[in-house]
Amino acid sequence: MGDQLKFVQLEMMVVALGLLVLIADLAMAPSRRRLLGYLSAAGLFVVFLLSFRDGYTALVNESTEAFFNSRYKVDGLALFFKRFFLIAGIFVLVFAVDFSERLRSGMAEYYSFIVFALSGMMFAASANDFSMLFVSIELITITFYILVSFQRHRLHSLEAGVKYLILGAVSSAFMIYGIALVFGVAGSLQFDDLHAQQSELIQSKVFLFGMLFLFAGLAFKISAFPFQVWAPDVYQGAPTPTTAFLAVGSKAAGFVLLIRLLVAAVPEVTAEWTSVLLVISALTILYGNLCALPQRNLKRLLAYSGIANAGYLLMGIVAQSEEGTVAILYYLAGYLFTVMAAFMIINLLTKEGEGEDISCLSGLSKRSPFLAFAMTLAAVSLAGIPPLAGFFGKFLLVKSVATEAFGNTCFFVLLAVAVFGVVVSIYYYFGIVRTIFWGRRKADEPTPPPVTIGLPVRIVLGCCVAAMLYLGLLPNKPVKWAETAAKVGVTSK
Amino acid sequence: MELAAWLIFLLPLISAVTIGIGAFRSKPISAGISIAAVVGSFILTFVMVANGSEFPDGQGPSPKVSWLRLDGLSVDIGLKIDGLSKLMLCVVTGVGSLIHIFSLGYMKEDRDFSRYFAFLSLFIFSMLGIVLADNFVMMFIFWELVGVSSYLLIGFWFDKPSAADAAKKAFMTNRVGDFGFLLGILMVWAAFGSVSFDVLEKEKATVLCGLAGFLIFCGAIGKSAQAPLHVWLPDAMEGPTPVSALIHAATMVAAGVYMLCRVFFLIEGTWAMEAIAWIGGITSLMAALMAVQQDDIKRILAYSTLSQLGYMVMVVGLGGETNSDYYKITNVAGTDAAMFHLTTHAFFKAMLFLGAGSVIYACHHEQDIWKMGGLRRRMPRTYWTFLIGTLALCGVPLFSGFFSKEAILTVAYKESMPLFLIAVAVAVLTTFYMTRLFLVAFCGEPRSKHAEHAKESPVVMTLPLLILAVPSVVAGYFNMHAPDPLILFASLIAVVFGALLANSIYRNATDDPLPVRLGFIARAMKARFWFDEIYQWFIDKVQERLAKLADIIDRWIIAGLLVRGAHGSTEFAGRVLRLAQTGNLQTYAFWFAAGLAAVLVFALS
Repeated sequence: MGDQLKFVQLEMMVVALGLLVLIADLAMAPSRRRLLGYLSAAGLFVVFLLSFRDGYTALVNESTEAFFNSRYKVDGLALFFKRFFLIAGIFVLVFAVDFSERLRSGMAEYYSFIVFALSGMMFAASANDFSMLFVSIELITITFYILVSFQRHRLHSLEAGVKYLILGAVSSAFMIYGIALVFGVAGSLQFDDLHAQQSELIQSKVFLFGMLFLFAGLAFKISAFPFQVWAPDVYQGAPTPTTAFLAVGSKAAGFVLLIRLLVAAVPEVTAEWTSVLLVISALTILYGNLCALPQRNLKRLLAYSGIANAGYLLMGIVAQSEEGTVAILYYLAGYLFTVMAAFMIINLLTKEGEGEDISCLSGLSKRSPFLAFAMTLAAVSLAGIPPLAGFFGKFLLVKSVATEAFGNTCFFVLLAVAVFGVVVSIYYYFGIVRTIFWGRRKADEPTPPPVTIGLPVRIVLGCCVAAMLYLGLLPNKPVKWAETAAKVGVTSK
Repeated sequence: MELAAWLIFLLPLISAVTIGIGAFRSKPISAGISIAAVVGSFILTFVMVANGSEFPDGQGPSPKVSWLRLDGLSVDIGLKIDGLSKLMLCVVTGVGSLIHIFSLGYMKEDRDFSRYFAFLSLFIFSMLGIVLADNFVMMFIFWELVGVSSYLLIGFWFDKPSAADAAKKAFMTNRVGDFGFLLGILMVWAAFGSVSFDVLEKEKATVLCGLAGFLIFCGAIGKSAQAPLHVWLPDAMEGPTPVSALIHAATMVAAGVYMLCRVFFLIEGTWAMEAIAWIGGITSLMAALMAVQQDDIKRILAYSTLSQLGYMVMVVGLGGETNSDYYKITNVAGTDAAMFHLTTHAFFKAMLFLGAGSVIYACHHEQDIWKMGGLRRRMPRTYWTFLIGTLALCGVPLFSGFFSKEAILTVAYKESMPLFLIAVAVAVLTTFYMTRLFLVAFCGEPRSKHAEHAKESPVVMTLPLLILAVPSVVAGYFNMHAPDPLILFASLIAVVFGALLANSIYRNATDDPLPVRLGFIARAMKARFWFDEIYQWFIDKVQERLAKLADIIDRWIIAGLLVRGAHGSTEFAGRVLRLAQTGNLQTYAFWFAAGLAAVLVFALS
């Protein structure tokens, strides 16, 4: 067993880092605790670099049979997502340090909870078994309950926390119920076993019933229709770094599990459910985009946009092909940088949950050309305009569905809805761009001073901008990475 | 030599860019760069001609840079240097150089001196692009660039509404022709799968060639101001006078004729030739008639340019076997004659325009010839050079215009009798209106204060005149041959008759007696046969109405119903959906459960 722990070395390091932060907090003067955030970001960066070590990447080819009886997989897909989460974690930590004045208390706990949630996501990336899935999901969700309500002095934050807690508990209940049903029929919790006997299992209504409950739980995580109601309120109320992490990390964790379950483990069930998934994907796109239209609060707007994006990402699952999985990975990568940049900029421009109205962006082009540029890129990328990451991701998703469409005419409906959604979304994303460059302030309002941006945030924003452009302009290499990750995503015993 | 070819092509561009980037702050530096560039191009051209180098020269392809490669289409920026383009290079860079120098004096006072020179360089660059192009697409690109840069130059004094309008008019009229040009190019590409001249030349002509050739000729109708698209050229006189000399004598309007000569292999032997010849002939006659009743010195020259361009286009259309007596540029008598006349015309017409500029400068921007008079003694250098130009244009023996006009008449005589008669009539009219112009403006007594106080222009302006006077006289001798007695006789008669007639009417006249004597005809000439009025009517009655209709459709159906409707309904849908977002946790939990139930029912039923 001892040498088998090498499979979880990254996760162990991350957990240890979280604990270290908690302990160091006791020894540190309150004025210097911000440093802890940077240190933990640096620590995560080291872990990120270690993930490229030959000794670690070699594990991909090693059988994990002996380890937890194959309940835990270290393959290309897991590696892709672990790195994804690490990058997200680093960004969120830098972001959180910038935010920490508004927390009033428990700065170091905030950092460590981010790290713990991150470890949960990294475990989820490797989960190949229902117990693993459930535990890692709960590790993520429970830390998020705390992260969401961390600004205890703010009613909004508390309200969001309570909503997330209760709805999250409901979804967890559904999920565990579903797992119980599936276990009852299949007699195993392992995805590999399900894969082996999926053709018999598919005959059983109870099994499908259980799988649907499970799906509902994951759909809650990715905020797909009709399980999306919590997203706008929670996104708006939560501290902005939490929101960003929720939007990127939690959603990606949901997707990696969906890929493991629906694409890799039980593709026959997915094929059976094509129309269900298709309708859910289409409705999610429609709902997110339509609701975003009249939205003036930026965080809510991004929440709805996040719902719409979940719909687009689901298209990759609907396609049920390796191409679809590649598209999901690529899109998520672009989404990470775009959304992170957007939330950071919103955070820089707003104070204490006040003035999150879209008008806070007006005159940004004069106050800070860099922020205006980055925000414009983010909005344009989300709208899916070339040559940015969002465009290429959407293109891959649409393509993956379109190549399958000749077998199933319903796919054309989904494509039409996706295109319609993109058109609608251009309206509100360009509303953001318009406000940045041409928005007028009221006459009596004083002109706000130029925005000051700390160096770490500047670096992170710079990375986001570079990544958006890189993913959009030179997609060849990233697509190759996504392809290698997607290939090994399919398991068999 | 390849480097030289590229330099000829690129020097003016470098100049335009340098001035645009920073040199515009200093007037002398801008002018210096611009003049150095065009003179440099001229010297290199001269070296090239002296060397006798040609591209492609049989040893390899001409210098080129690949610009666009697609399946079935490859477009290069390549330089084609043969007798035809070398002759044209000489004209463009030579006359261009002198006009640049002349501008130093003429534009001295102007606020935007540097901008002017940047535009001039851009114009020369575009023009050289047309001349050197080795394929249709490149030619079209530079064709359009000439359109743009002429727009900039004609509208140089854009704060003057008439100049701005004239620039717009020139650009838009040209665009009408260019549309045909583009269609023609597409047709050629569709038929032969290539746009390169070298490749196309080897292709066999097909039925399509006539139509394609005519469409391509449409481009020349626009640029070379043939009827019915000639209306822009007289108005384009609103630009600074050196610009008029550059655009309307040596370069832009000549581009159409040059292009026809370049792609003659395409139209050879098709019905398009006949159309070209007749359009040229009609333009030539009509413009000559209009010139008779104009009073503005530059407009008279403008109509005379139209008329001479008509000559050239006509003779291109006539084609015909080449005569061994000629200095052969191409293998067709018509194109040879056209290029010959183009060259001599470029020299003497540029001189006439610059002379007119000198007169206008001296008379404090007075352009009405009836307010001039008696300039002979006050501006001797301008007077003598203008006289040489006039003699050359009229085709008086021993002057360059005589030889080139004679070449045209020879071809016309051989190929088509009606057009020969038109050409002779035009020669009479040319002598008539030029004598009129000369007598009224330079002889007699001064008829205004400005004319009384006129002084000779500075050397920087008269020097180019004197230099241009040399080729205006001698350019014809390079292409001398034994003239056909009949044609010689016809052209002599035309000159003498026109001059005597004008002399009898306008010697010491103080106003124009023709309107009284000719009545309606004179009015029609003065009103330029109401072309502008007809176009205006067409625009008012047809185009404006169509535009209004389109506006209604756009405003009410597209913007109102479709755009606003779509926007309104989606926004409404969004607002309705938002109602589900009550903020109430119990409701949310209910939605959640209801959603799950719905999914279960949908999936399992």
